[in-house]
Amino acid sequence: MIKLNNIVATYTTVRGQVDAVDGVDLEIPSGTVLGIAGESGCGKSTLLKVLYGDITYPLSLSSGDVEYGIQDAQGVEITTRNIRDHWFRRIAYIPQSSMSSLNPVIRIRRQFVDFLDPDTDRAQVLEQVRSYIQQLDLPPEALDAYPHQLSGGMRQRIMVAMATFFHPDIILADEPTTALDVVVQKGILLLLAEIQEEMQNTIFFVSHDMGVHYQISHKMLIMYAAKAVEYGDSSDVFGRSLHPYTKLLTESLPTIGDDHLRQGVAGRPPSLWDELHGCRFAPRCPLATDICRSVEPPMVEYRPAHFAACHHADKNL
Amino acid sequence: MTSTTDVKNNVATPATRADTGYRQRLRLNLRLRLGLIILAILAISSFTLPFFTDVNPSEQGTYMKNLSPSWEHPLGTNTQGQDIFWFLIFSIRNSLMLGISVSIFVTIISTLVGLSAGYIGGWYERFVMLITDSFITIPVFPILIVLGALVRGRTSFWVVGVLLVIFGWAWGARTVRSMALSIREREFINMARFSGASTFDIIIKEVFPYVYAYMVVGFINTILFAINTEAALAVIGLSKVEVPTLGSIIFWALNYNAMFVGQYTWIVAPVVATVLLFLGLFLTSTGYNELYAARRGQS
Repeated sequence: MIKLNNIVATYTTVRGQVDAVDGVDLEIPSGTVLGIAGESGCGKSTLLKVLYGDITYPLSLSSGDVEYGIQDAQGVEITTRNIRDHWFRRIAYIPQSSMSSLNPVIRIRRQFVDFLDPDTDRAQVLEQVRSYIQQLDLPPEALDAYPHQLSGGMRQRIMVAMATFFHPDIILADEPTTALDVVVQKGILLLLAEIQEEMQNTIFFVSHDMGVHYQISHKMLIMYAAKAVEYGDSSDVFGRSLHPYTKLLTESLPTIGDDHLRQGVAGRPPSLWDELHGCRFAPRCPLATDICRSVEPPMVEYRPAHFAACHHADKNL
Repeated sequence: MTSTTDVKNNVATPATRADTGYRQRLRLNLRLRLGLIILAILAISSFTLPFFTDVNPSEQGTYMKNLSPSWEHPLGTNTQGQDIFWFLIFSIRNSLMLGISVSIFVTIISTLVGLSAGYIGGWYERFVMLITDSFITIPVFPILIVLGALVRGRTSFWVVGVLLVIFGWAWGARTVRSMALSIREREFINMARFSGASTFDIIIKEVFPYVYAYMVVGFINTILFAINTEAALAVIGLSKVEVPTLGSIIFWALNYNAMFVGQYTWIVAPVVATVLLFLGLFLTSTGYNELYAARRGQS
């Protein structure tokens, strides 16, 4: 069980401080694939940074912490405080663009072993890597290549291989398929799902492609303007959504055979610089009433393990 | 897996491609080959020939004055009774030694300063760059003339080298810093950091391979700068002119009116040698640049 305890993540800028993640409070069962969706600037990537423990200036954690529900070799609980010591061993990261995430002037195999402890036997690790990448449908020769000699899909597979080689408990994936065409994208998604099934890691999967989430995520977290607005099993969130924002999001997805003109969500998310009162979605919400504009809705468990932050969520029950 | 076949076909051949790349790397381009040949001839001859003679070329009056070129004195002798050929050989050797040692220090200092400033950033960078920029804005040559005039005669040949290092490192440091600055923001640096690498590891293993090609070229150019500046100082008599260098030989030739006396070899030979040396260094530097570009796949 991974616990996010009321996380407030703040960026310090010249204009002042802004909370990019504002009070996210969640419990995620281990071994789930959690999809995180929301508009650009809603705090998805910042939340991932906090989860990874990469909290460096200008980002700071104003309150809250993450308990990862795992212990290190000494039996000490791993939390935000000490997660850095377990980077790439217990928690791994798959970046958005594999194109720029591999050093173009160094061969792949060196990038695999460069940052191992100095006393490890590199040749032996490389042999393991060689057989491991074959499991991921990569040719063993790919290790001897420079990144530019590989295709985009292969590079992303290399990134997946790097991230999963040590069997980490937690994998963070920040839109790992955005730069790829749909066929390769599907291959990568299936690969991730396969690895997850085998290793039972917890995956945090950020994407604004709802179709991708539908394919891979067990649970969904919908974020809006730095807040979590809905959290639950994917089937619930997609099929019986409680929050009007989620509803509008899923309704905007096309389905085959339905030739209705799709409606986007009118308006724009509020600026986090403004003084925000009440529900942050209220200005764009078709159901908004006076209470929405003045009182901030709490996250409430309307169905078992299905949360939403909306005053009118019960209307959707 | 859906894309298995697609991936397998694609892989065609990183291995074979790497092989042809390797062969290409061995096939040096024309410039590099010419440059290396010129440098090799100059370096080998000037470093080995002095072992086969007990002549001290700086000693005056060893031979008859102003002899024309002959079998014994391939370039004749000068007005001071020195053998011009041997004086030239020692000059090339000394100039090369000075250039290479100055360049080694300059390259090490500028790379260390530039990489650390660019990658670490913050107040450290500001402080280091303040010093670097101060050195860049100081006009090197006039300062060297003043310093040369001050220490003239009381200094050794190597003090000139130290002065060149002190005033030579700043440009390189600034260039390396700007490269490090841009590399620091690339995603793969983040990935290296995320895999738990220390700052030192990242600088050495991720940033350095990027800067390395520039360093080779910079190294050669600094040799040029050092030889050039020392020669310029020597020609106007502000280096240690008793030590044979490409500059001091011209200084003496001008001083004794070699042209007027008719000892053309005295002044033409060092000029030709200097031009050849610079040509060799220049060809090597641009040739290496080209080679490195080819190795990266013309990117």
